[in-house]
Order: sequence, then structure tokens, then C-alpha cells
Amino acid sequence: MDDLQFRRRIYADPHTRDEDMLDAIKSDPAKQRFTQELDDLDSKIFKALNVDVPSDLCSKLFLRQTLASHQQQKRKSRIRLSLAASVAFVMGLTFNFMQFSSAYTTLADYAIAHVAYEEGYFSNASTENVSLASLNNKMATFNGSFTSGIGKLLFADYCRFDGIKSLHLVYQGVTSTVTVFVVPNNEDLAFSANFTDDKLIGKSQHFTHSNIIVVGDKNEPLQKWQNAIDKNINWSI
Amino acid sequence: MSAQVSYNMATKQVRYEALVKALHSDLFRYAYWLCHDKHIAEDLVQETFLRAWRALDSLKDEKAAKSWLITILRRENARRFERKRLEMSEYEEAAITDTQSTSNEQEIENYWLREKIAQMPEEYREPLVLQIIGGFSGEEIAKQLNLNKNTVMTRLFRARNQLKEALENTTKVRGQYNG
Repeated sequence: MDDLQFRRRIYADPHTRDEDMLDAIKSDPAKQRFTQELDDLDSKIFKALNVDVPSDLCSKLFLRQTLASHQQQKRKSRIRLSLAASVAFVMGLTFNFMQFSSAYTTLADYAIAHVAYEEGYFSNASTENVSLASLNNKMATFNGSFTSGIGKLLFADYCRFDGIKSLHLVYQGVTSTVTVFVVPNNEDLAFSANFTDDKLIGKSQHFTHSNIIVVGDKNEPLQKWQNAIDKNINWSI
Repeated sequence: MSAQVSYNMATKQVRYEALVKALHSDLFRYAYWLCHDKHIAEDLVQETFLRAWRALDSLKDEKAAKSWLITILRRENARRFERKRLEMSEYEEAAITDTQSTSNEQEIENYWLREKIAQMPEEYREPLVLQIIGGFSGEEIAKQLNLNKNTVMTRLFRARNQLKEALENTTKVRGQYNG
């Protein structure tokens, strides 16, 4: 290895020690001295380059990161919260929609479904008897009253008639119970005067503020029921 | 899942702290020799570590951590100039602060050498700093600076050559004064 090449290599990296370099250093005292000089120079440069590091830099770096990660965390939990809120909101909407929207388009469909659903819940032989006063008390909500009883009333309570607060009356009938609904007028449900399915028949009557629907089985003289209601009911408005 | 997340967070935290402890000094010194200003160097290091924290998952090999951080720091430094549109300021002597009192010969020489290094062209100084402080090989420096290895070796040669000559000259000058 010639001198120039040796110098170039040792200057570029004083710590380079491959076999060529080692041989060259061993065989030539001048090169040895030169290597030593370069080592000294490098340690001087190293000292010069080693400027003081601010003693609090390390803790500052930890602090910066802690703050940043805290903010990131906060951002994440905000995103999670808003996601949860959106989900809850959609669920609420869906629930309301299912609960209060009209699943049926006509009074008739709903009345039949309602009665069919409660089949077996009321017995025609039941000994319950709701008084006229109690019935009228409930009728007051719909601004109506009965002057006298139109049959043996087994059950009278409010119910949600497809989302509309209504009165649900169950009378003793000929072979099975007769159901009477008092439903405030609602434009979502189409009115139909007569309706029937394979077991039940029904009749609706339209008054100023409410409809009265009578549903019973096919043995039931519904017209008689309807006439009795018509004769006995008084509307206060 | 949340336990897994916090476990990952904890591991990340441990990795980050280890990284800071092991490398912040080298990084600060490297930054200092890039910008010649302690405060800017500190900002650069902070910005670098903050980015490192955010991207820590992308660091797969711990051995590559130092060059990874230096890459981030160089990018940060370049961004500083893009942002401020500052002219690359010429070295000012006042900017090199003497942190230790120059009480003895060694310190005087240190101080003097620091000035010489600061006055050196950027293209010579940076490989030198990477080699001596960073402990990188010629290949690694070449990769870091996007140069070929021969260019890097030539620059290292010139950098040392300049410093050696400068040192020898002052010794002569000082010797004359002393004599």
C-alpha cells in the first residue's frame, strides 16, 4: 500500500483496521506514528464535538411525550364517545320508529291483529265485572260516557292502539268475548266500516273525535252491539 | 381489548423512554452541529422525539433506532428552512457559546477546535459528526446523506485534513508566541 493511499484511508477513518492496513502499520514506524497522530486528533475532535447536553432535556422529552399522548388519548376517547352517542341515537330513533310508527295502514287490520294477539287472554266465562262508573271514568279521557252498560264488561283499560292511546273494552259475547276499541281519530289509519278475516268480524263507527270499533267472532250480532253503543254513548264535545 | 391496548401503550412507553435515555445526547449533539444553536437544537430534538413517539410502531429494529432518529431530525431541520424561508445563516462566532471556562490549555484547544469545526463547510462537517458522534460506518453515512461511499470517504478525509492542518498551524503560531 503506497503512502498516499494509506493516508487517504486513515484520514477517512482512523479506526479502519483491515489486514492491508495492519500490515502497513506494522511494517512502517512512520505509519505507526501517523496512526497515533490521527487517533489523537480524533479524540480531540470527539471532545470538541461533545457539547454539553442540557441536563433537563431528558425530562423535557418525557414531558412532551406525556402531554402529547394524553391529548391523543383524549382525542381517542372523544371519538369513542361520539361513536357511542351516534349508536345510541340511531338505536333511539329505530326504537321510536318501531314503537310509534304505524305498522298497519288501516284500523281494521290493526284491530284484528290486536284481538288475535290477545286471543286466550280473556275468557268469555270470566267473572270479572267492571262497573259503569269505572268505565266512564276512563271514557272521560276521550270526552265520552255511557248512559248505561251495554253488556257484561270483563275488562276496561287503556292500550296503545298502534301507538295511539285508546280504550280497550272486553265484553262477554255469545260464544267468545267481544272487543270494543275507542280510538281517537288518526289520519295514519284508514277507516273501514266493515272488516273480516277467517275467524273474526268487525265493524267501525265514526264519531266526531273518535272511532269505535267492535270486533267479535262470526257468531256475534255486531250490528246489535253497534246500535247499543250508538244509543248509549254521549260525547261531551 | 382495552387491556391489550393499555398493555401496548405501556410497552410503547417503555420503548420510548429507553430510546430517549440512550440516544438523546447523541441526537442533541448532532442537532447542535447542524444548526449551531443550543435552543434550536433542543427544539429539533423535541420535535424529532415527538414524531418518533407517534411513529414508534414503525420502528421494527432497535439497532436501526439511531439512524432512524437522525433521518427524522434531518427532515425536521430541512423543514425549519422551508417554514421560515431563512437564508442559511453564515456562521457567527458569537453563536458558539463557550459553556466551560477556558481554564487550561486543553479547554482552550477544545474551544478553538469547536470554532474550526463550526467554520468547516457543512458537507464536510456532517459526515464527520455522523462518524464520530453517531459511530456510523462509511456505508451508513453514505446511505443517510444519500451520497455514494467514495464521496463520503473523500469528505471525511478532507475534514480531518483541514482540522489537522489548522491545529498544526496554530501550534506553530502559539509556539512562536510562547518562545
